[in-house]
Amino acid sequence: MYLRAASINIDDSVLVQKSQSGDVVAMERLIIKYQNRIFNVVLKMCGNSDDAAELTQETFVKVIESIEKFKGRSSFYTWLFRIAVNLTLNYCQRHARTATRSLDAEDMEHDGAADQVLRDLLSDERAVDPATVAQSRELCDLAMDALLKLEEPQRAVIVLRDIEDMNYTEIADVLNIELGTVRSRLSRARSNLREILEAMINEGESKHR
Amino acid sequence: MKANPNIDELLCGFVDGELPARQQTEVQRMVARDPEIGRRLRQLQNCKTLVSALPRAEAPGELLEQIKLAVERKTLLEEQAATGVHAAGVIYLLARRFVAAAAMIALLGVLGFVVYQIVAPVPGTDSQPLVARPDSPSRVEPIQPGSAPAVVADSGFSGRLEIRTATLAQADAVLKRAVGQNGLSALAVSDDAAGIRTYKLVSNRQGVSRLITSLESIWQSFDGVTLHIEEPGQFASPVTVTAVTPEQVTSIVARENTAASIETARDYAVTNAMAQRMPGREVLAIVDNDAAGVQDLVTIDDKVWITETQIETTLTPPQGEANVSLTIVLLHTR
Repeated sequence: MYLRAASINIDDSVLVQKSQSGDVVAMERLIIKYQNRIFNVVLKMCGNSDDAAELTQETFVKVIESIEKFKGRSSFYTWLFRIAVNLTLNYCQRHARTATRSLDAEDMEHDGAADQVLRDLLSDERAVDPATVAQSRELCDLAMDALLKLEEPQRAVIVLRDIEDMNYTEIADVLNIELGTVRSRLSRARSNLREILEAMINEGESKHR
Repeated sequence: MKANPNIDELLCGFVDGELPARQQTEVQRMVARDPEIGRRLRQLQNCKTLVSALPRAEAPGELLEQIKLAVERKTLLEEQAATGVHAAGVIYLLARRFVAAAAMIALLGVLGFVVYQIVAPVPGTDSQPLVARPDSPSRVEPIQPGSAPAVVADSGFSGRLEIRTATLAQADAVLKRAVGQNGLSALAVSDDAAGIRTYKLVSNRQGVSRLITSLESIWQSFDGVTLHIEEPGQFASPVTVTAVTPEQVTSIVARENTAASIETARDYAVTNAMAQRMPGREVLAIVDNDAAGVQDLVTIDDKVWITETQIETTLTPPQGEANVSLTIVLLHTR
């Protein structure tokens, strides 16, 4: 993981320097390199693909506008994600009421297979196979719904860790918080996520009865 | 198992591989010893797996183009805004400069006018004092050395000529005729019981002078003539000239301005009063005159006549259009 980050940073620093000197191609390479990862993180945080596309676009526009001011105190990678996460958190705060209402309004019907996998996941008896989760569209929707029910700061830290695969130091850098805060917030986020999933299973069982 | 925040943080760190080797060993030992901790560890691992297994979304294919368009649009808008602001700023600065220049020019104009009013030289001279010509008060010209004294303006004066006469009817007739012949008009008030006839007339200096001259033939028949003269609007006490002669009156009236008339009247008042007290009614008429200083001595039986060569020579013809308000009072002496 650290080797990957290091190699990215080396490449990034060259592209950033070229971009700062007005090299449009270098900037395009940076955009192409990170657009999917930014879009993915933003989508997992906001839950809407159109808004995620708009936020991703806004993120890169800000990067282009501010690239000359980038001093390299942190890596370009964390600087880029800091911009994206801040924009997304602002967006989530503005649309929190609407998003919650739309989720509550949804009549989430899940098939039996998804519920069983989720039940196995929460039974603590055995570890879940990631491939099984990825293949179940319903299970992914359940997981996404549960993720969106987390508070924004907890959602941000769990997305950066479990989806973007950032280490704790990078998360602290992106969110501009202490390392201990990252640990405690991530622990609470996972605990809350499990509780949300359990509540969703219980609701599903009561509906099937 | 009920979640313990401290253990959860440790377990999360273990799941994420963020613990140092010593803590990892410690967690493994705890899990092996306590099945509840082992179950909690699996819960956290499964949560992580669930989120991590979410499919990765890809950005829209046109995102790069959209970003380029957004940047171009934003740049264009900023340039337009900057251009608009720049144009507005230029207009504002030009307007400010124009107003400032106009204000400065106006200020300099006012200052120049004021300074010119104060220090502007009179045409034809550099430093001589200024006087007004009696015939044109608004015109200013320098005093010529040796010329008659003059002052700036003539405001006129008012006088009261009291004539005591034993032949009131005759004096009245002569006066009326004289007024008519000289083209004057007078307001006549008659009090026959008291033996008083009053004529109020207003004229310029020439008209009054002509009228007095017309009365010379009858003047000697008067028992006494007294002239009171005062300057209009002044608080000084009037000057009274007793036993005044027609020549004295005309000389007073004919002076070039009120101040000169008053001054002349004062001279006559003094000399006439002295003459009244002199034995034999002889008087040394002394009238200041810049030109000579010649003194004439005249002896008159009953009245004092003063012939003043110097005054005559300094007299100027009646000038100026300032009004002289003269009240002639005929008093019947019985």
